[in-house]
Amino acid sequence: MRVTKGAKIAAGSALLALGVAACGGGSGSSGDGGSNPRTATGTVYIRGCEPQTGFVPGNINETCGGTVNDFVYSKLVKYNPDTAAPELDQAASIDTTDNKVWTIKLKPGLKWSDGTPVTAKNYVDSWNYTAYSPNAQIGSSWFADIVGFDKVNTADPDGPDGPKQAPKPETDKLAGLEVVDDTTFKVTLAAPTAVFRTKLGYITFAPLPEAFFKDPKGFASNPITNGPFKFVKWDHNSQIVVAANPDYAGAEKPKVKQIVYKMYKDDDAAYADLVSNNLDFTELIPPSALAGDKWKTDLGDRAIEGQQGVIQTVSFPLYDKEFGGNADFRKAISMAVDRKTITDKIFNKGRVPLDSWVSPIVEGYKAGSCQQWCTYDPVKAKEYLAKAKGEGYTPPKEFPIWYNGDSAHKEWVDAMANSINQALGADAGFTVVGRSMPTFDEFRSVITEHKIKGMFRTGWQMDYPHIEDFLNPLVKTGASSNDGLYSNKALDEKLHEADTATDQNQSVSLYQQAEAMLADDLPTIPLWSYGLQAGTSKWVTGVKVTPFGELDPLSIAIKEA
Amino acid sequence: MGRYTIRRLLQLIPVLLGTTFLINYMVWQLPGDPFAGRCGQRPCPDSYVSAMRAQFGLDQPILLQYWQFLKNMLSGNLGVDFNQVPVVTQLADAWPITIRLALLAVAIEAVIGISAGVLSGLKRGGFIDNVVTISTLFLLSLPVFVTGFLLQWLLGVQFQIITPTVSDEAPIMELIVPAFVLASLNMAFTARLTRTSIVENRRSDYVRTAIAKGLTNRRVVGVHLLRNSLIPVLTFLGTEVGSLMSGAIITEGIFNIHGIGGLLYRAITGQDYTIVVPIASLLVLVYLVSNLLVDLLYGVLDPRIRYE
Repeated sequence: MRVTKGAKIAAGSALLALGVAACGGGSGSSGDGGSNPRTATGTVYIRGCEPQTGFVPGNINETCGGTVNDFVYSKLVKYNPDTAAPELDQAASIDTTDNKVWTIKLKPGLKWSDGTPVTAKNYVDSWNYTAYSPNAQIGSSWFADIVGFDKVNTADPDGPDGPKQAPKPETDKLAGLEVVDDTTFKVTLAAPTAVFRTKLGYITFAPLPEAFFKDPKGFASNPITNGPFKFVKWDHNSQIVVAANPDYAGAEKPKVKQIVYKMYKDDDAAYADLVSNNLDFTELIPPSALAGDKWKTDLGDRAIEGQQGVIQTVSFPLYDKEFGGNADFRKAISMAVDRKTITDKIFNKGRVPLDSWVSPIVEGYKAGSCQQWCTYDPVKAKEYLAKAKGEGYTPPKEFPIWYNGDSAHKEWVDAMANSINQALGADAGFTVVGRSMPTFDEFRSVITEHKIKGMFRTGWQMDYPHIEDFLNPLVKTGASSNDGLYSNKALDEKLHEADTATDQNQSVSLYQQAEAMLADDLPTIPLWSYGLQAGTSKWVTGVKVTPFGELDPLSIAIKEA
Repeated sequence: MGRYTIRRLLQLIPVLLGTTFLINYMVWQLPGDPFAGRCGQRPCPDSYVSAMRAQFGLDQPILLQYWQFLKNMLSGNLGVDFNQVPVVTQLADAWPITIRLALLAVAIEAVIGISAGVLSGLKRGGFIDNVVTISTLFLLSLPVFVTGFLLQWLLGVQFQIITPTVSDEAPIMELIVPAFVLASLNMAFTARLTRTSIVENRRSDYVRTAIAKGLTNRRVVGVHLLRNSLIPVLTFLGTEVGSLMSGAIITEGIFNIHGIGGLLYRAITGQDYTIVVPIASLLVLVYLVSNLLVDLLYGVLDPRIRYE
């Protein structure tokens, strides 16, 4: 008897637990059609993540901070969300005759969110601050093209590990920047740079108001900005709120009153919120939803597909005799990768096989610059492997492909290794294996110290939509992200010629010629370019995603009920 | 009792010193430069790396850094993390949420686990016993993330009874489902532990005596049998409090709860020792204190256990 009573209590408490759970939450969700809960407040919720640095444009180099900073800062140039073409934003005109001296005129009536006017001086001060090396800004190297950069930015003679300190720069003002009047300033570059106009839309080139220089630290967490949205508050690790800026002078005004940049640790959690209409936008559909195109059935017409300027490549340590291989060996490896099957099976066609070193969506892209080397051909791959061995290169018994284990790379790296092993056959004399390092930090450390033993994953997310951004930083001798230490004199010269060409079209075609040279050496193997998968809730409409994979904050609007 | 407690509290000091030093040491031994990955595929400018190293004292010898850490920890000034955000405010935001979640989970575990265990232990081989055995086996074989995603999908996305994720303030109501998920695995452990213990003690002399004295069944089970049988369960639940606070990373991720787990995870992947070390040290403290409490509770449950 007692026992049965106890059983009732136990069962009751279990039911109670579930029942109470059922009552919990429930706010702001559900609703089948009917009224739109977003209309009352004019607020939309989008997926975000905790930025690494505060709201100082010159100190940002990652997507979490980059996305939300693009909402609040306007630059001289912006990129068309559909075509990625650069268009004038804060600038009324950007004129040059020789690609060396640029006269930039601001539009009249531009204002900061505190009501003060945006002046040419704000731009010049901001650029000077970022370039000045004692300020230790991440974006300082963006100003290296400007005359006088070496006077404001000094290198540490023995690197950060050595005991010596970097000498104090002679001055904190770039000689190449000159304020002409309130709305005009002149930029003099050290050498003609045709792509300079396109670069100006990058976040580092944003201006900073007078208030910043009084208290840079405080400003970083409570900024005054000039963009379509202004900063409201930042609850660390949970949300950043930005509101429409009433002083914004742009032609296109924000269509929502507030955007809440809600931080998620897990893409799956954000996706679950999106499907149940608690979240209005995410640009990261998790692999679990991409599998079998589940997300398209889940979201229906709320799914957004597109392209973004990110490519995946694999690099060789060309400085290493054992793992660097020779050109024919690298060609053999490249031809042994079945890009189509991998993108179909592993990424559900969410990525597109790439046959060039440049993202298909940028200015200057030319299909097929990798020639036949980026086409799957096991027969030819074997032939080139034999050729490589004939030239005296013996690959080590085990050839790793390295990747960082803290993001989703294992699947495709293993698939790539399998594809190579199968294509080259059992008598290849070596096997390719996927190997991971625990964190991105460790992975990058080993790569930049040039100690990596094997191929390694490299990717490139464009800074601005131009072919130049895929060549100069990656394959020029001594370039900042030339991880394999590739060096080709003829290529360097061609790139220099392209950089300094005064005619835009000629410059682009010179870059294309330079890219074509990569097919001889194959220092890196192009794999695929990233597609874009995003989704919205049923409460919003008109959402556009930029080629940078970010929400265009001006496009999002609340659906009329 | 008092002296015993004081002695145990004093023992905390060397243990804390030792563990914090080990944690500090291990974090410094991690391969890779914490600032190498902060600029993506581009290397960070030297001036930035030097400035960051100087700010966080990474250019000083280990012992000096440890001394600095102890000083900061004792004065309550934990400085800023690598993102230049004060560590103390981040901890102050995250701890209450995690504590709420952990206590709720332990409560669910204790209530459901112990009652299920008692019921099945009293009627060994009976219907309820079989039901409990099968359902605990089921729970034990499900990893936490499966239970988590399943409940989130079912209750959050399909039926829309709850919101799939927990809001920033994380009120108790919204935490019930995550706490249930968190508790699910160990609920099964608790039930089985209680059951075994009950079955064993039912045959002991004092229970027979109590029954012979003519006490009601309720009194025999509730006072005599249960109190003694709870000692192993209590030990288990005590250590649970500690591990639930640190081990909720998966559940916090699924339901997007802004607690310690997520903070710790982000800090570990970013090698941000300014966060890792204080959290790990506090977790050590939680473990030590909860173990002490468990030890003291033994005396309450079983009069034969004395601390003098």
